[in-house]
Parts: sequence; structure tokens; C-alpha cells
Amino acid sequence: MTSSIFMHPATMFIIGALLLPLAKKFKVQKVWLVLVPLVAFIQIQYLPESFGKVDWLGFELHFGRVDKLTMVFLHVFTLMALIGSIFGLHVKESGQHVAAWLYVAGSLGTTLAGDYLTVFIFWELMAFASVFLIWYRKRKRSIEAGYRYLLVHTFGGLVLLGGIFLRYQNVGDLTFELISVDHATLADYLIMIGFMLNAAVPPIHAWLPDAYPEATVTGAVFMCAFTTKTAVYVLARGFAGFETLAIMGAIMTLYGVAYAVIENDARRILAYHIVSQVGYMVCAVGIGTEMAINGASAHAYAHILYKALLFMGIGSVLEMTGRSKLSELGGLYKYMPYTMIFTVIGGIAISGFPLTSGFISKSMIIAAAGNNHQLVILSMLLLAAVGTFLSVGIKLPYFVFFGPKDSGLTPDEAPWNMQVAMGMAAFMCIFLGFYPDYLYDMLPYAVSYHPYTSYHLTETFHLLGFTGLGFYIMVKYLKPHDVSNLDLDWFYRRGADWFMWVARKPISSTNEWISNIYQNIGLRLTMALARALSWFDWEGIDWALDGSARGVVKGGEQVRQFQTGKLQHYIGAAVALLFVVLIVVVLV
Amino acid sequence: MIVNFLTYLRERPSMLKWLFLAYLTFALVFDFFADRSHAHFWGDHLVGFWAVFGLVGCLAMIVFCKGLSHVWLERDKDHYDK
Repeated sequence: MTSSIFMHPATMFIIGALLLPLAKKFKVQKVWLVLVPLVAFIQIQYLPESFGKVDWLGFELHFGRVDKLTMVFLHVFTLMALIGSIFGLHVKESGQHVAAWLYVAGSLGTTLAGDYLTVFIFWELMAFASVFLIWYRKRKRSIEAGYRYLLVHTFGGLVLLGGIFLRYQNVGDLTFELISVDHATLADYLIMIGFMLNAAVPPIHAWLPDAYPEATVTGAVFMCAFTTKTAVYVLARGFAGFETLAIMGAIMTLYGVAYAVIENDARRILAYHIVSQVGYMVCAVGIGTEMAINGASAHAYAHILYKALLFMGIGSVLEMTGRSKLSELGGLYKYMPYTMIFTVIGGIAISGFPLTSGFISKSMIIAAAGNNHQLVILSMLLLAAVGTFLSVGIKLPYFVFFGPKDSGLTPDEAPWNMQVAMGMAAFMCIFLGFYPDYLYDMLPYAVSYHPYTSYHLTETFHLLGFTGLGFYIMVKYLKPHDVSNLDLDWFYRRGADWFMWVARKPISSTNEWISNIYQNIGLRLTMALARALSWFDWEGIDWALDGSARGVVKGGEQVRQFQTGKLQHYIGAAVALLFVVLIVVVLV
Repeated sequence: MIVNFLTYLRERPSMLKWLFLAYLTFALVFDFFADRSHAHFWGDHLVGFWAVFGLVGCLAMIVFCKGLSHVWLERDKDHYDK
């Protein structure tokens, strides 16, 4: 039992995080930062099928359930933890690393959990730890965005918990297994909404593009990988085949892309692209066939790597120049050529160029929709692919590294550790494109899909080429402006203002009004009543009894005469008493 | 080296344009020889369908999103701080 807890990869990250300050003290923080994720990455290969079953208050908690669906996510999560930690090696604050690792631990714990209570515990650990990755940026905007992030996730957690309680009441069992669409109840839908919030499904997605661009440079690299993809995992585990998800997912892909086309902040563009890309996975989960679930897992794997690569590339630019707005950047390829190459690799991978990871993963989902004859969804997904290439494949690298104007910035190339991390992620993006079987062999079901058919190639050549033509025609209309765009966070950001206004104005003034009334009328009445009662007590009750109260008051009054409070009187009295005693002693 | 090469290319936009057009032509020609046995729907059987889809989709998306941003969504960058 005890040993099986230590087997849990989350334990490794939690203990690693707790010992990190010690490692810093002995000046081995950098070694420790590489060692722990590396050991975890190797160790997950040796996990047994089931471990860590604990009886707790009559519930059976199941900390470790391992099958192929779990493994593919564990594999990419631990790999990403390694890449992210290397990317952050230069960060001296242990706190950031501690938060990142606890966040990773939450994600691994959720992925391995075999029952809903364990899911919930690690789910909350994720939300709680990741908010520090925003707060560590220490700017006013980050602090505010962090609070909003935390509140939204607390709300999502409560919906999830409500669903779990209801489910327990209905079924009496908290095992985390696939729920059948036909027997889903309110409880299951509440759980699904809780999961969907973390997957950033509109209309409950706005926390993501609100918070991620305000996180620290390394924090955003971690955040873009774990929260949404853990949500995809739990949805695939519990809710595969729910058609709602297929529709919502397809809408997500376009929603995210639409905002990415108009946004100005590079990291916000990437954040909206998470919404879009996770849309593919949510859609695949909703389609629910074996091929679709394979596609969701493969796309999650590929997406984590290229999205992290993009966040690392733009993060490096932000780290070196202090800017992330497209309107303030341009011409950086001369000074950060390696960062530019890595970012472009991420950009072409997300767009699904042949010989990159996007080509072999995204197409699986699109083919799954096609095989299922869901043509509307199919064309929505392909339109989103067009928008992806437009906004992240071309627009982002063009305005940051090339651009119509030179920003005049002359930054240095990013530090070596950032380049190593970007190199690792870029290698994986291309490696998977050349050798898709490495990923396909890990997928939950056997794969019969071949990405490199002449038809798929020609479709991709056309989509990408003619999107490029569209960009070429319209490039002057795409020039970024320094503005922000409204999104659905408007409801709670303005809603909070209204709440505060209601609290300040009507509620506060009603309160004041009532207290005025009380002071003018209530207080006087009370005082009068008190005087009447006192008079009655004094004159009525005491007289009726024995007058003892009057006696005590009178006696007290007389004793008080002696207590003048002047020291010389007391000394005088004491000396006089001493004389009296002496006289008595001498005479008697 | 990379920097010099890219600067060299950037100074020759007309060459880039011709290369790009050559690529588009290649893509269109390639489409005639693609194996369409796994087609999902009618559009898959048309030569150049995805070219039109890509171009029209891209232009429509830019016009729609930029338009929506201009008439409705666009705010000052510190909109919520006011």
C-alpha cells in the first residue's frame, strides 16, 4: 500500500516540488529540475495496471488506473513537464517551479484517478496550483486575471462536485467509467459541465484567453499543456459519444480561430487557438468512434507539443523584448533566428503541414467525422484548419519576425535552456510527422489510418496554398491594431462591477437609511424604555423588597469617602494605625 | 547564415511571388492525379474543390471577423479598467 503511493508519478512531482527549496539551497536546483521529470517520464512505463486503492470513510479511492488511454496522456504530460522545466531553468524563484510541478501533479493525478473523488481532489489541486503561475507575473493585471481565473475554476469545481454528489445519491458508486448517453442524468450532465469548463468550451471558455496571456513566460508554457488536455482526457474517459460534445467542439474550433484572426497580443492569439484546437478533440470525443477517440488522443499528444513550442517561441520574444503585441513587434528574425525557426515549426505543425505532427493527428479527427458522414462538422473543422494556418501559421510569425515594418528592437537570442526546450519540442513535432507509428502505437485502439495518401496530400496542399494566397491578397487588412476585443468574460467582468455597484449603492444606502431610523427613533425608544425599567426597578421592586439596594448604594457612597485616591492620605492612615498597634502592644 | 539567406529572399519579393505561384500551380496539377477512392462526399470528387474552399474560406473569415471586430467587439485596451 505505502509503496504503491510512491509509485504514483504525482507523488514524485509533489515531493520534488517540496524539496525544491532545499535543492536551491545546495545549488542543485537546475539538476533537480531536470532529474525529477526525467525519472517520472521513464517511470510511467513501469506502472502496473492498477494500484493505490485506499479505503477512506467508506469510499474506495482509486489512485492508479492505467490503460492505453491513460498511458498516451501520461506520456505526453511527463514529456511536457520535462520540456517545460528545461525551458524554465533560468528562473531562480523556486516558487514558480513549485507551482508548476504541483500543477503537473494535479494533472497526472486526475489522469490516473479511477474514481470521481480522486478526480475531484487532483482537479482542485490543478486549479489552485496553476493560479500561482499567473500571480507570479506580479503585475496588477495578472493579479486581477488570476483572481478571475480562480473564481471561474472554483465555480466549475463546485458544479463538478455537485454532479459527483448527485451521482453518488443516484447510483451509490463513484467509479469513473464511461457513461452511456442513453442513461445520462442531471448528475452526469453536471459532471460534464464541470469538465467542459476546463476544456474551455464556449460559453464557459473566456477564462482561458483572459488568464493565459497574463501568466509568466514559463507559466504559460505549462498552462497551455495541462488544464485543457486533462479535461479532454476525462471527457474521453467518461463522455465519449455524447453528440452535444461533437457540435460544441466544432463550434469551438471556429470560435477560437475567429478571435485569433482579430487579436493583437501574440499570446492571446495562441490562447484562442487552444480553444480552437481543443475543439477538435472535444468534437472527436463527441463523435466517439474508435477512430475518433484515437484522433482525440493523438491530437492531444501532438497539440501539447506544438502549442507549447509556440508559447515558448513567443515567450522567448516576450522575455527578451518585454513585448508580445504584434503591433509593437516586427523584424526580429535578424536577432532571434533560432527562436524564429522553432516558432515557425510550431506554426506549420499546428497548421498540419505534411511531415509535421499536425498532419498526422488532426486529419484523423477529420477523417473520423467523414467516416461518420457528419459533413457539416467535417466542413467546420476544415474551415477552422484554414483559419489556423491563416492566424498562427502565417500571421503570427509574419508580424513578429518579419512584418511590413521593423520594430527597431535588437534583442539577443533567447538563453540556451530555452532554445534546448524549443529544440526538443520542435524535434518531436517533426519526428511524429516522419514517423507517425511512434504515436499511433500508443493510441487506445488499433490504428488502420494512413495519413500519407495522395488524396490527403492534395487536400492539404490546396487548403494551405490557397489560404496563403488569401493572406497575400488581404495582408493590409490584417495589420494588427492595439485594441482588445470583447468576449464572454464581459458578463462576469461587467457583472462584477454591477454587483459592486449594487453592494455600494442600493444595499449600502438602505443599510444607512435603516441605521438612521434606528438612531433617531429606535435608539430613543430603547433609552426611554431603559429609563422606565430602571425607575421601576429602583422605586418599585427595591421598595417592595427590603431596601437593600438602597442600603448597598448608601454604604458604598460612604466607603467611597475614605478612598480619596491620594497616596499621602493612605500612608498617613497606615502610620496612624501603626501607632495605635504599638501603643496597644506597649501598654498591654 | 540563415539571416543572410532570409534577407536575400526578402529583398526579392517578385521572385518569392513567382515561387509561390509555381507552388499553387503544382498543387492544382497534382490534384488531377490524386486517388479519390476514399472520398467522404461529393466535394472530394471535384478537382480544385479544396482550393476554392481554402481561398473563399480564408477571405470570408478575414472579412467577417475583422468586420465584426470593427463594428462591435473592438474596445480600448484598458477597457475594463475604466
